[in-house]
Amino acid sequence: MDARILLVEDDPSIREVTAIGLRNAGFTVETADDGRAGIERFEAADFDLVLLDVMLPRLDGLEVARAIRKRSTVPIVMLTARADTIDVVVGLEAGADDYVRKPFEVPELVARVRAALRRVGQRDDDAASDLRLGPLVIDLAGRTVRREDGEGEIPLTRTEFDLLVDLARHPGQVLARDTLLDRIWGYDYLGDSRLVDVAVGRLRAKIEADPASPELILTVRGAGYKAAR
Amino acid sequence: MHLPRGVRARLAGALVLLVAVTAAVLGVGATIFVDARLHQQTLADAANQATFDLTVIVPGRQLPDHPTQDDIARSGLIDTFRQRGVETVVDLGDGTTVKSNDELEGLLQRLPADVTARVGRGELAYAWLDIAGVPRLVVGGLAPGGGPAFYFVRKVDAIQAAIDQLRLALLIGSLVLVGLALLTARILARGILAPVEKAGETAERIERGDLLARVPVTSHDEFGTWADRFNRMADTLSETIRRLERAQHQNRRFVADVSHELRTPLTALVAEASIVGEHLDGLPPESRRAAEMLVGDVGRLRTLVEELMELSRFDADAETVALERVDLGKLIETVRSTRSPKARFAPPAEPVVVDADPRRLERILGNFLDNAREHAADADVEIAVESRDDDIVIAVSDRGPGVPPDRLEMIFDRFTKIDPSRSGGSSGLGLAIAAEHAALMGGYLQAMNREDGGLRLELVLPRDVAGTLRGSDGTAT
Repeated sequence: MDARILLVEDDPSIREVTAIGLRNAGFTVETADDGRAGIERFEAADFDLVLLDVMLPRLDGLEVARAIRKRSTVPIVMLTARADTIDVVVGLEAGADDYVRKPFEVPELVARVRAALRRVGQRDDDAASDLRLGPLVIDLAGRTVRREDGEGEIPLTRTEFDLLVDLARHPGQVLARDTLLDRIWGYDYLGDSRLVDVAVGRLRAKIEADPASPELILTVRGAGYKAAR
Repeated sequence: MHLPRGVRARLAGALVLLVAVTAAVLGVGATIFVDARLHQQTLADAANQATFDLTVIVPGRQLPDHPTQDDIARSGLIDTFRQRGVETVVDLGDGTTVKSNDELEGLLQRLPADVTARVGRGELAYAWLDIAGVPRLVVGGLAPGGGPAFYFVRKVDAIQAAIDQLRLALLIGSLVLVGLALLTARILARGILAPVEKAGETAERIERGDLLARVPVTSHDEFGTWADRFNRMADTLSETIRRLERAQHQNRRFVADVSHELRTPLTALVAEASIVGEHLDGLPPESRRAAEMLVGDVGRLRTLVEELMELSRFDADAETVALERVDLGKLIETVRSTRSPKARFAPPAEPVVVDADPRRLERILGNFLDNAREHAADADVEIAVESRDDDIVIAVSDRGPGVPPDRLEMIFDRFTKIDPSRSGGSSGLGLAIAAEHAALMGGYLQAMNREDGGLRLELVLPRDVAGTLRGSDGTAT
């Protein structure tokens, strides 16, 4: 696997050992030691994935994630010092797809990176037909979503797109958070269900007429989410 | 609130008693004095009148030396006296009498013997008598020249009426005084008790944690002095508490800072050790064991730092509770199968669903299981869910050696190691952390030795977690 990874981390030891671990796993790694340098590097070359520390000098990881999101759907995995709600939710809302909590063991990080890359590589086999959810037309081949009344494409990240497709394929069926974590993020067990909640929130903000009272993706209390029939 | 009523009642009782006794003594004294004065006055008037009648009126009628009943009647004396409201009995000396009124029949016999004797000797004498139910004064004397004895009888019920009126006035006066005493007692009591009640309220506010509450100093009396002293004590106490809190805060801050600062090198260490750990086989024999130990010790250090950080977040009150509907059977089974597959758990027949924070439940249960694994390594471990009154109990029981009873209470304290020789990689913080998580959800932990050996750890959660956490920022999704 020769995927190219951009690692933005300010602590030299962590940066170096992480790069070693990723290279050992077969990735090509470029590094940056602060937020601005990270954005410059990202613009200078193509990357398959960005690993982003939250606490960065000059421009913090959240700002970097937002800047990257403006022009790319590249998977972003945050390295967070704290796993409490603020960092995780804010990170995901800034456009990250997943997070790895510090301290981490390298194999654990590699597994998360591979899961994120695998999703990018996945293409739907039955991509011939479009999926529909309410007024939305989902083009599986082109990985785009638009409204049937013809307005332009709705920009979704990979995670949001995958989540929408998974729900739209099973209209009316409740999908538990754990199931979604497994299918979208590749967690085998006991992932952080806030990943799902935040992603659903971001998705609703983009596709629902009124995100506060959703009509397309519904919450089933204590169980999970389902797409409207 | 027992004291104020007592003081009020005692004050009112004392004042009323004082007023009542004073009024009674004064009333009885006044009655006796007035009674005596009225009798004396009446007697003096009657005696003067009798002297005048005997020395002026009677001789003026020219009676014979030994008048008969007819002589008396003809003289018109009886009528003259009656016109002045005085009845008369004349003792003619030969056993016959002249009476102005039939009520006076037998009067002479009823008079004390010394009265008639003194009248016989030519003196004035008197007696107080009840005749026909009316009190009367009888004054007797001889007509000049050894004539017949005249007894003048006058009604004195006016005295009694005056006395009765006086008594009534005194009674009404006393009642008014008692009423005034009650009113005074109330006003006095309010004056005395108001500051006491204020002080009580202040003490209560301080008890509830308002360390700035003070007693108002409104007077320069004994109570003002007391209030001043009380306030000085409260000042000292709150200052001490503030100082202790500051010290504790700095202490916790320090722990939080230290563990935070440790995190960056720890992250590097953990990543490095994980790479070393994957390549142990390639290391020369001289360094392999050391590298192995390094990997293990980095793991221990990681646990310790992470648990310290977790605790310092609790200490900073930085934790919020996110409540969800949680099926306990499912959650326990998930934790069991991933954390401690050898533990036994029979899921409840009916699903037990509570509002709780699932991540905190997982943490508590995980720490219970870690504890069982460390202290009862190869022994049976059993997980159970029970209902108890308004609570749900999740219990983890092991078949290990248990805990000495005197250490049972400390088991949830920080850095308590039940058996230091067995604690392995444990930091001694796991159960303290579990206790913090439980408290956040409105529950608590308890530990007990099983009768048939082994330790039983319980998480007791209120069935209505949301109700227990009323007022917290707990949210349900």
